[in-house]
Amino acid sequence: MNITEVKSAVESMLFIWGDPLDLKDIEDILQVERVKIDEAINSLILDYESEDRGIILKKFGDSYQLKTKDKNYQYISSLYKPNTHRSLSDAAMETLSIIAYKQPITKIEIEHIRGIKSSYIINALKDRGLIEVVGKMDKPGNPLLYGTTKDFLSYFGLKSLDELPKLPYDEDLRSLEKDHEGED
Amino acid sequence: MEYIVNLNKFQGPFDLLFHLIEENEIEIYDIPISEITEQYIIYLNRMSEYSLDVTSEFILMASTLIEIKSKMLLPSFSDNEEDDPRQDLVNRLIEYKLFRDVSEEFKDWEEEELKFLPKPKEEVEYDFKFNEQILFEEINVYDLLNSINSLLKRRKIEIGREAPKFNIRYDEYSVTKCIKIIKNILKDKSKVSLMDIFKIDFNKGFIIAIFLSILEMTRDNTIKIIQDNLFEEIYLISK
Repeated sequence: MNITEVKSAVESMLFIWGDPLDLKDIEDILQVERVKIDEAINSLILDYESEDRGIILKKFGDSYQLKTKDKNYQYISSLYKPNTHRSLSDAAMETLSIIAYKQPITKIEIEHIRGIKSSYIINALKDRGLIEVVGKMDKPGNPLLYGTTKDFLSYFGLKSLDELPKLPYDEDLRSLEKDHEGED
Repeated sequence: MEYIVNLNKFQGPFDLLFHLIEENEIEIYDIPISEITEQYIIYLNRMSEYSLDVTSEFILMASTLIEIKSKMLLPSFSDNEEDDPRQDLVNRLIEYKLFRDVSEEFKDWEEEELKFLPKPKEEVEYDFKFNEQILFEEINVYDLLNSINSLLKRRKIEIGREAPKFNIRYDEYSVTKCIKIIKNILKDKSKVSLMDIFKIDFNKGFIIAIFLSILEMTRDNTIKIIQDNLFEEIYLISK
């Protein structure tokens, strides 16, 4: 396959799939070297960057997804009410941020930080595909460990988890709090 | 009414505590435990007044506060800051606040990203689970049309144009009638087995009516039911 063919195939696959598509899957299907795919994707990204295009190719972790451009959101929402516009509740957001930063994490640890039972919210986040079970803890009872998914990155528009702002965790909590006061 | 909405929003005991700390403009490292405990408990009482669900976590926090309060009343023999009974609670509060603050940022990202819309994937999902296309091989629209036509024809033959008819029959045996039957039998005999009664007529309606009659008669105390052992014959005795 030459680069033109790869580019065309990748675009078709991304369009039909809708969800973030793994680089690995593209590689397995096309049976071409990773560099060629990277080149094709970068070329597509450049094409879409053009002002006259309404689609954008976004990278989330190791996967890619086609989305409509934010500047056209108002026109799309007059066309139809996108049902994706169901934003998360405060409680869900709180729980999700704990999981994002402290993954892999057990339900008990989440509940310890929040000070309240969180099973319902954890299940709701799991149903929405924002978190998943990533393993079991090697401790009595083998509690489940939760982590974020690639849909999580897609949902918040993050290229990778490294984009999350650093939490000054190991520093003295007291100085941290002082810093926060200074900002306010 | 506004108050109810206000109370309902607390995500948990930490959320409520933060609300109190902010409301009173308190320095988090020097929480006046006695006052906060008092206010906290007032809130809990108000929550139950409005029949909001005061979960065990809220009550646990109340008891933690009271415990800290009582510890602080005891004379301290050390100047070491780490011995402050509030320290553990403060650390947890700060950790909680850290994530609460960062979740505000998550909300901003969410809002921004929701303006980029992906195409839903659902419509292609089925083909991957079942290989349905094989089932429909070499079938065209006319085949579908023919098959639905023949289906409709068949149904017309079966049902016909007239409305369906149902026969509604009166119950052959009523409970009143069956009570009479049982009473008649028990006039002659002192004891009769259930099976013997059923032998009169093995009709389903009869059996049901007899059962109901026996229950009715037992309730009225006109008969007594006995069975010597499990799964053995059941006998009726008149009283």
